[in-house]
Amino acid sequence: MGLLFVQRLDGNGVFKCRRCRVDAASKDAIISKEFQGSSGRAYLFDHVVNICLGPNEDRYLITGLHTVNDIYCSCCQQILGWRYEKAYDQSQKYKEGKFILERARMWKDS
Amino acid sequence: MGGFEDDEPPSKRARASSVEPASLLDSFSCLKPAAPLGSTMARPLPSQGKEVMVGSKGVIKRDEFVRIITKALYSLGYEKSGAVLEEESGITLHSPTVNLFRRQVLDGNWDSAVVTLKKVGLLDENIVKSAIFLILEQKFLELLRNDNVMGAIRTLQSEITPLGVNKKRVHELSGCIISSPQHVLLGFSKLGIESSNSRLKLLEELQKVLPPTVMVPERRLENLLEQALTVQREACYFHNSIDGLSLYTDHHCGKDQLPSCTVQVLRAHRDEVWFLQFSNNGKYLASASNDKSAIIWKVDEDGELLLKHTLTGHDKPVMMVAWSPDDCQLLTCGMEEVIRCWDVESGKCLHVYEKSGIGLISCGWFPDGKHILSGLTDHNFCLWDLDGKEVDCWKGQRSSKTSDFAVSNDGKLIISMNRESTIRLFDRETKQERLIEEDNTITSFSLSEDGDFLLVNLISEAIHLWNIRNCPIRVNRYAGHKRSRFVIRSCFGGSEQAFIASGSEDSQVW
Repeated sequence: MGLLFVQRLDGNGVFKCRRCRVDAASKDAIISKEFQGSSGRAYLFDHVVNICLGPNEDRYLITGLHTVNDIYCSCCQQILGWRYEKAYDQSQKYKEGKFILERARMWKDS
Repeated sequence: MGGFEDDEPPSKRARASSVEPASLLDSFSCLKPAAPLGSTMARPLPSQGKEVMVGSKGVIKRDEFVRIITKALYSLGYEKSGAVLEEESGITLHSPTVNLFRRQVLDGNWDSAVVTLKKVGLLDENIVKSAIFLILEQKFLELLRNDNVMGAIRTLQSEITPLGVNKKRVHELSGCIISSPQHVLLGFSKLGIESSNSRLKLLEELQKVLPPTVMVPERRLENLLEQALTVQREACYFHNSIDGLSLYTDHHCGKDQLPSCTVQVLRAHRDEVWFLQFSNNGKYLASASNDKSAIIWKVDEDGELLLKHTLTGHDKPVMMVAWSPDDCQLLTCGMEEVIRCWDVESGKCLHVYEKSGIGLISCGWFPDGKHILSGLTDHNFCLWDLDGKEVDCWKGQRSSKTSDFAVSNDGKLIISMNRESTIRLFDRETKQERLIEEDNTITSFSLSEDGDFLLVNLISEAIHLWNIRNCPIRVNRYAGHKRSRFVIRSCFGGSEQAFIASGSEDSQVW
């Protein structure tokens, strides 16, 4: 263990981890709100903070085979979503390096 | 490097003779068919023919090698040893003409020295003129010293000026004549000892002007050895040695000189330890912990650490400590809380620094020991005097809960984290600002003791080394440690701070 490295995001509309309220993503980083996770709606972001990554895993998602990493809150270690490491379908390539956060695990600052 | 061999024994010199061209040997036997063998061996080695080399790599000319040894013997004051070596080896330090020239310079026979110099066989006319100029300059100055103004004027006009070199110096010499006689006397000593000293200096100057093949340079052997030692030290990958270098063996610091074994485990904190810092004099270690306390440890004579004081009073985990320049006081920073100042000797809390409604997240001393600096949760930095009065305040743009900064030894340069991936170098005198832009978020940094280098830890498991003496330049990059969730710090260490050490989330020290 040790001293957690915690970043803060500026501005309104910051998405935070629902459990520990640490910043996770800015609404300005939203790419799409049309995704689904195991707990319901999910958003695609191009930048997130205060997360750490799980190992690479191959998964069949609605749109085909992808290599993904689970995303955990770096403070409370709750799973928040996943990150796209690699997309094998050409039409899904835009997701590579992007992050999915599940809405139900996020708390939004009004 | 090739090893230095002892002087070759007589049998080896005889063997060297045997490699002379056969035709040369034949001509010798034709010229003196009845000569005894003994007298043939006593004859000096012929200068024609193949050059004799020494050393395992065959790159050292024997003549040159013997000459610089002879020069070293004479320089060390071993006159007899030098002379014996010249006689025994048959290799003279200087040619007879050069020896005559040197003697004439030391005796002050200037006109003869000039004549002899022209017989040395120098090819470059400019070198001859430069050397003659130096000789005649000495002649001029000594005539002036002996109050022979007319002689000095004659030398300047008839001998020095026609050379046509170093006109600026000629003008200076003219000025010596124009100066009042009293001034001239003040400028030069009449003592005889001064003459011999200045003539020795002249000889050294001439050695610099003349080719080294004519006169062996001063301290040539020492210079070569120093080059070898310097190359060895620079090639020493793990150089961490306080001992000096030795001629007896090539220099090499093994990897075993780096610390790699745990020698003591400190068990006094009740929770995670988040920060460690040795005092400037190395006599104490301060540790900061998630258990809301800091501990001052004392380093005893054996290098063992003993608990001296447990500092309690913070309401939040202690995330940083800072030693005062004189090591008499210690600052501790509670996480987004207050800064406390402690007396190291008694362990008492001397002062609490706080700002209502705002948490403090870092602390440091000014080099004068009379001010402290802190980072705040509202992104600002504050400068306080020891009584807690706020002296200065300036804005930052940092967006994390940690906020490293450093102050240079002269107190002029303040280094702080700016935005996620920027470090700001602010000169308080000139108000100039320089930035270090990284390609990833910065998690921590540390400044070297001399203030010239900055070690920057990044979120991407990389450590960058920047030279910040002038325009910041990244000079090195390190990788291998692990970082995913926590603040990982690194530091300089070892002999002359030539090493860096870094923590790691895999429980290793890199």
